[in-house]
Amino acid sequence: MFKSNRSRRLAADILTYVVLCTLAAFCLGPMVWMFLTSLKPEADIVTSQMQYIPTHITFENYVAIWTQSNFPVLITNSLIVTTVTVAICVVTGTLAAYAFSRLVFRGRNNIMLGYLLIRMFPAVMMIIPLYVMMRTVGLVDSRFGLALAYTSFLLPLFVWMLKGFFDAAPKELESAARIDGSTRLGAMVRIVLPLARNGLVASSVFIAIAAWNEFIFALMLTTGQGSRTWPVGLQLMVGEFQLPWGVLAAGGILSILPVMLLFAVVQRAMVQGLTAGAIKG
Amino acid sequence: MATLSLKDVRKSYGSVQVLHGIDIELEDGGFLVLLGPSGCGKSTLLNIIAGLDETSSGDIVIGGRSVSNLPPKDRNIAMVFQSYALYPTMSVERNIGFGLEMRGTSVDRRREAVARAADMLQVTHLLDRKPANLSGGQRQRVAMGRAIVRDPDLFLFDEPLSNLDAKLRVEMRTEIKRLHERLGTSIVYVTHDQIEAMTLATKVAVMKGGYIQQLADPRTIYERPANMFVAGFIGSPAMNFLRGRLGRGKSGWQFMAKDICLNLGRSKEKLEEQEVILGVRPEEFKVVHHDIAAAFHGKIDVVEPTGPDTMLTSLIGGQSVIARVGPRFAGRYGDDVSFTVDPTSVNLFDPQTKLRITW
Ligand SMILES: Nc1ncnc2c1ncn2[C@@H]1O[C@H](COP(=O)(O)OP(=O)(O)O)[C@@H](O)[C@H]1O
Ligand SMILES: [Mg+2]
Repeated sequence: MFKSNRSRRLAADILTYVVLCTLAAFCLGPMVWMFLTSLKPEADIVTSQMQYIPTHITFENYVAIWTQSNFPVLITNSLIVTTVTVAICVVTGTLAAYAFSRLVFRGRNNIMLGYLLIRMFPAVMMIIPLYVMMRTVGLVDSRFGLALAYTSFLLPLFVWMLKGFFDAAPKELESAARIDGSTRLGAMVRIVLPLARNGLVASSVFIAIAAWNEFIFALMLTTGQGSRTWPVGLQLMVGEFQLPWGVLAAGGILSILPVMLLFAVVQRAMVQGLTAGAIKG
Repeated sequence: MATLSLKDVRKSYGSVQVLHGIDIELEDGGFLVLLGPSGCGKSTLLNIIAGLDETSSGDIVIGGRSVSNLPPKDRNIAMVFQSYALYPTMSVERNIGFGLEMRGTSVDRRREAVARAADMLQVTHLLDRKPANLSGGQRQRVAMGRAIVRDPDLFLFDEPLSNLDAKLRVEMRTEIKRLHERLGTSIVYVTHDQIEAMTLATKVAVMKGGYIQQLADPRTIYERPANMFVAGFIGSPAMNFLRGRLGRGKSGWQFMAKDICLNLGRSKEKLEEQEVILGVRPEEFKVVHHDIAAAFHGKIDVVEPTGPDTMLTSLIGGQSVIARVGPRFAGRYGDDVSFTVDPTSVNLFDPQTKLRITW
């Protein structure tokens, strides 16, 4: 009885690992392949015989994309657009999410529902009217305009996510702070935000990644060097007669570095548990 | 001077009215308990006094100043919440001092005031801890420390003891009473526990369904409840209600029912011959062994010794009655039993209106 139980548990463990490893291989496989490709010289990439492990390791692809293309400009543009998007979302979204979570006003539920509804429309449907609007106000082909466009669909998401974290913070804490001498806004900043800090970090990272990787809006709303972001720039490097695999792979690796860096930094904040148990006895 | 007056305070949420014209005056240094079953509007009223919630109409005066339009921070009150509401990210010391910090008190004076409050509540050794590392009783003390440190006009307590276990609850109840006596600051205290109300209050407001049923000192509430709801809500075991008739006897008015004939000993009062309900507290019943003096005759149903006394359930003319009798009571199930009652201790209620009949 005992023995068979144990072997059954062992079998379950093995099965779990098999499934997890398969999934991991699916997720990481393309990344690994891209990384390996970026280290190969052009001649070793397009070969008749599949070559998995590079025989000559070279960094010429990285040098090429950084010095012989406009990649640094693309990355800078992406950084600026992402930063502006996150900044707008964090400031306005935090205030909005707090209002939705704490105040009672007419149309509150309908507006929240509207926010959800926006997410249901395919992006292509939004782009054309957005393009017309942007052109009217002269924001086409500007980094700020692109950031605004991102905000239009990331802010609702941000508000929804953050509202959940605010809802979880007990209202009595703010009541106590208001009696202790805070204003409503002061209570939010001093008491609720520190409590929802991890949620704020998680939501911000989420929209940062979305803005960083976004392609379709960037393709439509940027036309020149000045505001083009890296996903569009890389795509445009695919020429009609040539496909610079090695350089593209190097560009891909370089552009996921900031995301990995971001995760490395905020991971601790995400993992640090909320101060559970401090509220109820 | 009254510390607190509420004048015709009303509150509606949408179309639902939860407070119907509350009028309360609390004297300086008084201890007002808002007592009532869950959902009767106690917390709503307290939040309105605190300014956390707005009135629909009516006026609130604290310390001679109308505060209806002031935010909570300008009302000079302090509040202790049921969940304690300690700021989880701050140390105990900062929690207690937060109100002073917000008011721009200097660091030295703040430290001094926090130390004094912590000393009074015996939490000095906890000042460096975070709330998460405190026991329930310790959190309660810290929450009270946060309230007293600012020396407000009025303390507000919302069911502060209901998250504690029974033993700690009694201990903290005593602590709150001691604090009130030492500080002399007026308190409004919300509870659904009638024992807390009786032990702490100088004035009790019994509430039900958004109305104040009775506002009086605890003794009056207990001995002369305004209606059957108050009578039944206060006291454990509850007051006995016996149906019967009020009639004129040889020596004045009498309460009569099957196996009951209680001389009320009053002849001149303006009473009417009518159906009434007699309310008798369990401890008012006295067992007698000679029939002549007895007003109640019945049979013992259940005998429950509790230690200090014995709860005796008897059937009197088909009505069940609980009496609190001495610990050495010797009767058993099925025995005959007779009681007398001091007629001045009983109350009469109108069966229709449920109101106490004054006489
Ligand atoms: N924000 C609110 N919106 C609607 N109804 C409410 C709200 N707060 C309280 N109520 C209602 O008001 C009544 C009184 O509530 P409350 O004051 O919390 O009762 P108590 O503290 O006596 O248990 C309840 O019936 C409750 O459902
Ligand atoms: Mg309540």
